Amino acid sequence: MSGHDSKYFSTTKKGEIPELKEELNSQYKDKRKDAVKKVIAAMTVGKDVSSLFTDVVNCMQTENLELKKLVYLYLINYAKSQPDLAILAVNTFVKDSQDPNPLIRALAVRTMGCIRVDKITEYLCDPLQRCLKDDDPYVRKTAAICVAKLYDINAELVEDRGFLDSLKDLISDNNPMVVANAVAALAEIQENSTRPIFEITSNTLSKLLTALNECTEWGQVFILDALSRYKAEDAREAENIVERVTPRLQHANCAVVLSAVKMILQQMELITSTDVVRNLCKKMAPPLVTLLSAEPEIQYVALRNINLIVQKRPTILAHEIKVFFCKYNDPIYVKMEKLEIMIKLASDRNIDQVLLEFKEYATEVDVDFVRKAVRAIGRCAIKLERAAERCISVLLELIKIKVNYVVQEAIIVIKDIFRRYPNTYESIIATLCESLDTLDEPEAKASMIWIIGEYAERIDNADELLEGFLESFPEEPAQVQLQLLTAAVKLFLKKPTEGPQQMIQAVLNNATVETDNPDLRDRAYIYWRLLSTDPEAAKDVVLAEKPVISDDSNQLDPTLLDELLANIATLSSVYHKPPEAFVTRLKTTSLKTEDDYSEAGYSESPAHAAESSASPPSSSSNVPDAASRQPDQPLATAASPVPDLIGDLIGLDNSNSLVPVDQPAAASPSLPVLLPASTGQGLQISAQLVRRDGQIFYSLLFENGSPLLLDGFMIQFNKNTFGLAAVGPLQVPPLQPGTSAATLLPMILFKNVAPGPPNSLLQVAVKNNQQPVWYFNDKISLHVFFTEDGRMERATFLETWKSLPDSNEVLKDYPGLVINSVESTLDKLAASNMFFIAKRKNANQEVLYLSAKIPQGIPFLTELTAALGIPSVKCAVKTPSPELAPLFFEAMESLLKS
Amino acid sequence: MISQFFVLSQRGDNIVFRDYRGDVPKGSTEIFFRKVKFWKEDGEEEAPPVFNIDGVNYFHVKIVGLLFVATTRVNVSPSLVLELLQRIARVIKDYLGILSEDSLRKNFVLVYELLDEVIDFGYVQTTSTEVLKSYVFNEPIVTGAAHLPALGPASLFMQGTKRMPGTAITKSVVANEPGGRKREEIFVDIIEKISVTFSSSGYILTSEIDGTIQMKSYLTGNPEIRLALNEDVCIGRGGRSFYDYISSAGSGTVVLDDCNFHESVHLDSFDMDRTLTLVPPDGEFPVMNYRMTQEFKPPFRITALIEEAGPLRAEVIIKIRAEFPSNVTANTIAVQMPLPTYTTRVSFELEPGAVGQTTDFKEANKRLEWGLKKIVGGAEHTLRAKLTFSQESHGNVTKEAGPVSMTFTIPMYNASRLQVKYLQIEKRSKSYNPYRWVRYITQANSYVARI
Repeated sequence: MSGHDSKYFSTTKKGEIPELKEELNSQYKDKRKDAVKKVIAAMTVGKDVSSLFTDVVNCMQTENLELKKLVYLYLINYAKSQPDLAILAVNTFVKDSQDPNPLIRALAVRTMGCIRVDKITEYLCDPLQRCLKDDDPYVRKTAAICVAKLYDINAELVEDRGFLDSLKDLISDNNPMVVANAVAALAEIQENSTRPIFEITSNTLSKLLTALNECTEWGQVFILDALSRYKAEDAREAENIVERVTPRLQHANCAVVLSAVKMILQQMELITSTDVVRNLCKKMAPPLVTLLSAEPEIQYVALRNINLIVQKRPTILAHEIKVFFCKYNDPIYVKMEKLEIMIKLASDRNIDQVLLEFKEYATEVDVDFVRKAVRAIGRCAIKLERAAERCISVLLELIKIKVNYVVQEAIIVIKDIFRRYPNTYESIIATLCESLDTLDEPEAKASMIWIIGEYAERIDNADELLEGFLESFPEEPAQVQLQLLTAAVKLFLKKPTEGPQQMIQAVLNNATVETDNPDLRDRAYIYWRLLSTDPEAAKDVVLAEKPVISDDSNQLDPTLLDELLANIATLSSVYHKPPEAFVTRLKTTSLKTEDDYSEAGYSESPAHAAESSASPPSSSSNVPDAASRQPDQPLATAASPVPDLIGDLIGLDNSNSLVPVDQPAAASPSLPVLLPASTGQGLQISAQLVRRDGQIFYSLLFENGSPLLLDGFMIQFNKNTFGLAAVGPLQVPPLQPGTSAATLLPMILFKNVAPGPPNSLLQVAVKNNQQPVWYFNDKISLHVFFTEDGRMERATFLETWKSLPDSNEVLKDYPGLVINSVESTLDKLAASNMFFIAKRKNANQEVLYLSAKIPQGIPFLTELTAALGIPSVKCAVKTPSPELAPLFFEAMESLLKS
Repeated sequence: MISQFFVLSQRGDNIVFRDYRGDVPKGSTEIFFRKVKFWKEDGEEEAPPVFNIDGVNYFHVKIVGLLFVATTRVNVSPSLVLELLQRIARVIKDYLGILSEDSLRKNFVLVYELLDEVIDFGYVQTTSTEVLKSYVFNEPIVTGAAHLPALGPASLFMQGTKRMPGTAITKSVVANEPGGRKREEIFVDIIEKISVTFSSSGYILTSEIDGTIQMKSYLTGNPEIRLALNEDVCIGRGGRSFYDYISSAGSGTVVLDDCNFHESVHLDSFDMDRTLTLVPPDGEFPVMNYRMTQEFKPPFRITALIEEAGPLRAEVIIKIRAEFPSNVTANTIAVQMPLPTYTTRVSFELEPGAVGQTTDFKEANKRLEWGLKKIVGGAEHTLRAKLTFSQESHGNVTKEAGPVSMTFTIPMYNASRLQVKYLQIEKRSKSYNPYRWVRYITQANSYVARI
């Protein structure tokens, strides 16, 4: 073959598909191979070449492996959309699975397993049975993985046909590659089954430990991970296991090292001899440190794991703190993790060295890193009593550089240091007060105010200082308001003179009458009551001695830590979250259904099927399995107005689910007429996009005013900004003259996305067997995309708002709109998944803050300003996708009007 | 196991995409790219290599400007996936000779064939170029190597030195030479990355060497190879504490903190005479990785001084001395130093007669940059820079400037003194005498002087 593959991407004048068709049927082998390459090239760039299915399949019967592989690649991609045609390939597959060439046998089984079409699956069983017992290890190892593939498609079939036993037999295979794949397949099947399938006995344990030595590096990881579930009988067995696994620590592959570490840590729990444990710790240290010489990406994973390991066994790396010093060219994500570990390993012995490093980091360029370094100094002060003074002097040095964010961060940690060592370091307060005016971050302000209140008696001008903050009381964030309130009370109790008395009056007034924040109001009322009934009691309460704090930031709860340690070398140990907090994989095997998406023109690729049944949180919460594993998610089903309907839709894998026409929910009272009877030769179509229970539907009403019986309704959507498309075919019964039918058509997003700037146009085509095709336009209202999880915490809202540049803020006036009641407006918006965050009053105007989110996690942060009952509403929206703002405003308008 | 593997260009274009399990929604490439590109609004902060969006976990590594990405929904071993991504890149490079957007596009059929053998249903099968040769049939189409950056540290040999056969590194392991006959040769590279931190008074605070003995074999018939290291190499700091290893520094032994070996290496006689025996598989692979914190002589001494010269002025003096023999030459030296944020203007003064040196003040991030084409062993170079400030520095100049960092490459030099004493290839016939290239190179990793 000559030339470049890229030539296959070039197009021809004649029209690509017919030309390819011709070439695929050429009598020359080379020409056919070239043609298949062109087809694959088109496929990889996303062109639809499914119409060439028959022609490509015809090229399958060849001795040329290169060509055969290409055809198989094509088949995997398109079989799902052409299941009937895919059957044509079955014969060749079955024949290939008996080919004398082991590569062809393996290829056939591998490919058949990837074609997720039930009709093909039936034919897969016999070849798979044979291949599991094949003479060639390459075929057996491929067949082992194929059992897992089949289980994913049809679990029952795997169990009925006894494949699990064959798979278990392969654990004793003499080829380590086969053993590794069998272990991987069994582990996956076990993961997805509630019954015990793959239990590790001491017999399998010893077999697998033997295989470990001969396996490829990847096989070693599969085996180590599977074995980590094994619980040793006693200390002796644990020691034996550890002895067999320890040599893996010397492996060049980081994954092997980490999996071995996990296994050793687990068995160590059982080992009682302190000598053995000490020795093991010593052996683990160098390989763990060596992980930090790998690529930064691997270093990151290693550091997250080491963070957990040192919490449990600090001795392992106690002497290695130097390796965690940041290199100037480390990526920021590595630096942050190293800092965390440095704090954990800091001790009286190395603190001078560590402080020197922190001080250096605190003058670097990256703001987040600098802040963390400053905070680290404070945390060391709290952790190491004997070093506290040195830490504080470093902090003071840093404050003197007068870099704003360094000062603020330092003040925050110094407040904690005061809590840890009361009455020790108050002499530095004067220095802190010098920076008072520059504070602009809530946490720093709150900390400074706390310090002033707590030590009011030692600060001569404490009342003046607090006074300075009071002017802006109503605009301050809640945490600053709360601190101001408490500090004012403390000041009053300590210095009950005229100034503080006036101040406390003003603050209490502000914090009770003028605020909507219940926390602030409640606290203010309690103080008020205390002060007015029994000032002495107030003193006892407010000025009581505070318990001394310790540094527990970033320390994990012991039970969580143990769970995470059991998950070393998995994603869980990187996120520091238990697996069930982020694994949302559906147990697809329980959703076994007939797959036939195949109505021509309405084909569905596998990826989409997965999307509609697996990905959006709103729909996954309808599947009991996923819901129970995700306790944080609201159970949409519970509140759903039409639970059965939706449950069926999702549960049936979205294939051809019949929506009863008389379903009341389907017939929304007033759908806009999009195709009037006058244009539609008597057929009138009204439709609108609606959101029901987290799912988007096209609600349609067909009214047959023509003299004909209309049947065979089909619908098609043109490419549009959001890629809206129907999940399945349209379900409309034959319509007698004078009758009507309503239906809810489930829709998905991002299927056929139109390029170009966003717009709200949705072009629809509907046909039936009796009439011409009708085209009409609909308008997409953005609010149907607002997802149920669009609610934001106040803090997140503020943070997000701040983090977006001003250029992302867009404004709109609605001079004609009027808000009469805040409550009912909020209710109305909440019904469309626009969530209320906060409100405030600005003169006579109400200012409301709301959040909404559309799929792919794009948030819309909204500020609505209006005077009640007076026309004119102002809307400001901030979003990472400002190009969508016009659509957002349209949606907002229609919501406010409704 | 993984669900998808894909390669994106820097612009986010899809170059390679393979879905293995169909359980991750379409559009994952866009979601991923968006997230990585806009991790922090200022675009300065890099996304971590692993993150989760809507239940999909994304892993990525950056290799020669391309993003290699894998996705999964389950709780896999992240180090396995990240290591796999690196290995896929290495296998593709072995096959294509050069890894670039262009070579990937031109060889997409071969790349898909490779990916099908490397991963089945999301499970890694093999990443050994040697093993893959038996299952992969497409021939690579070799692209012009010309100006494209090659993968891996060995590419460093292509710069500067004439002694190295430059093309060898970008040669495909499987493709035949245009003449039909393959040249019999083997490359053994000792690559050391050194990190040193000097205190403001010139003491060494930390020093570390990360070394690799890298091998790339183009030998037919996989003959056995013996590789002998210096006999005084010893491994592990023993039971001694971290702080007293210095005592061993004078004795001349090379003390490695830790090392690991490629799986093809036999260590039967390693303990006795420090020789490694192996049958090198095809493709590029690390024979041995090692790490050393034993004290060594840093190749460069950096002295940096910053002095205030009036309220709005200061002068920076940076001096670099090459402390290696004069028959060795370092190349592509770059020195950088962050200056106070209120610096507005910098005027440079090089030593008289300086050639091949460049200076620059990067206004955007307030950084001083000094480039030197080469430095001969024993030489010393000085840069003076006069700074003008927009505000008074309040005596904090030293705290707001620095540290000075340096990157360089020194061919035929290694700081650890670890050596390959000989490289023996099993002889098939009398006339069999393949080319052997043993090369040393030292490179700066994090080379920093505080002020």
